[in-house]
Amino acid sequence: MKGVLVKDLYIARSNILVTIVSLMVLGFGLSFLLETSALLVLAPVVSTTAVFISITSDGASKWNKNIITMPISRSQIIGEKFLFYILLALLGMLTALIPCGVLACFGVDVTLRSLCLYGSIGISTTLLAGGISLPCAYLFDPEKSQIVFMMSFMASTGIIAGLVLLTNLVFPVKENILLAFNLVLVISIIWFFISYWIAAKVYQKRDIT
Amino acid sequence: MTNALAVSGLTKTYEDFHLDHVSFTVPSGSIVGLIGENGAGKSTTINAALGLIQKEDGVVSILGREELDGDIKEQIGVVFDGSNYPEILSPRKLNRVMKNIYRTWDEQTYFSLLKQFSLPSEKPIKQFSKGMKMKLAISAAFSHHSRLLILDEATSGLDPVIRDDILDMLLDFVQDEEHSILVSSHITSDLEKIADYIVFIHEGKVVFSKPKDELIEQYGILKCGAAQFDALDRSDIIAYRKMDYGWQILISDREGIQKKYPKAMVVPASIDEIMLLYVKGEK
Repeated sequence: MKGVLVKDLYIARSNILVTIVSLMVLGFGLSFLLETSALLVLAPVVSTTAVFISITSDGASKWNKNIITMPISRSQIIGEKFLFYILLALLGMLTALIPCGVLACFGVDVTLRSLCLYGSIGISTTLLAGGISLPCAYLFDPEKSQIVFMMSFMASTGIIAGLVLLTNLVFPVKENILLAFNLVLVISIIWFFISYWIAAKVYQKRDIT
Repeated sequence: MTNALAVSGLTKTYEDFHLDHVSFTVPSGSIVGLIGENGAGKSTTINAALGLIQKEDGVVSILGREELDGDIKEQIGVVFDGSNYPEILSPRKLNRVMKNIYRTWDEQTYFSLLKQFSLPSEKPIKQFSKGMKMKLAISAAFSHHSRLLILDEATSGLDPVIRDDILDMLLDFVQDEEHSILVSSHITSDLEKIADYIVFIHEGKVVFSKPKDELIEQYGILKCGAAQFDALDRSDIIAYRKMDYGWQILISDREGIQKKYPKAMVVPASIDEIMLLYVKGEK
């Protein structure tokens, strides 16, 4: 799996660099207008686009066919993409934390609570979206999967809103906002793992030509 | 003699194509050429043997094992038409990828092959010509101590000089009796040079699987006119075609036929001609 991860890092390297620089610029630039920690919502979502660049590249170069003949199982191939997705989301989070940290040093109000809240929303959105779009990238052709990829972020926002509303039926979200979004985060993590399991199962039987 | 690859009763159905109980073997230390027209089922056979597509029926045994696990895949080198490597990578970066995939990856062999083929190690693959990409794919296939090489139309679209280099490499590879090659191609002249056995697939079925020498030395084409054609014993005919100038008849015992019909003109048949008569001729 390590070799495939190295390959994906090579493919996505320039995209990752552009994302890091953009997030830095956004972080510092938006600090005058918005709460800097709100960047944590955007950062993991933006960072994970590199996974879809690698999936598209695998299809275009027919690497996805070549790799099946190599000593790596189909579930490892899928697992690597899910792992790459998580790594990129975490990298995005870490990048967004840099302007937050720097600005906090200069006296800008960045609280741990806001970091946890926005971080939780960002990771939940990313995992829910990935849980939809990653299996679809292996089920549909590249054009359709790009549409699914874009739609998945809208869908994940809708799912989060729905989950928060449902939580509100159990306890008041306004008074327990962090707890509510942590609950959403847990559901998102479970969904992401279920999605991996489904994707691996589907890919196992798929003809690669 | 053990078989590096044994395919038995391989079946796969698509909407418009049916691979029908394909069976053949690749004996250890030999080169087997898989021939057939485009769409005959060569790639489907290879894809099914390699587990790229799900087979409906049949058994594939590679290096003595029916389960195609990581250990077996370590020992198989596969080359498809085109490089099939991410084009953004350079051969040097590809080395870093491959050494983390294959336990048996041999960097020294890989770089010496790059040197032998005059392939630049820092240039991205996207800047390579088709011949260079093919040489790179072959270098990679040779760099993890493969025991079985499978090449699917790997020489198509290459110029004769590069093809000749590649054929020489394949011949060198099978000098070790543990090494074997299955090569599919519709360039039959290449297979005439290197193959020990020829498997001919037509419309998803194996028409014949024979030693190449038997085909070259025993098969022939009887050329005759209408009267002579009518006088022929039908059991001597494998396939025939009516041409503008007479009849072409594929026969499997050149010497015997020449003795039986001393006035007939019997000439050796190339694999191309054998394939053409099977496909286009009548039976």
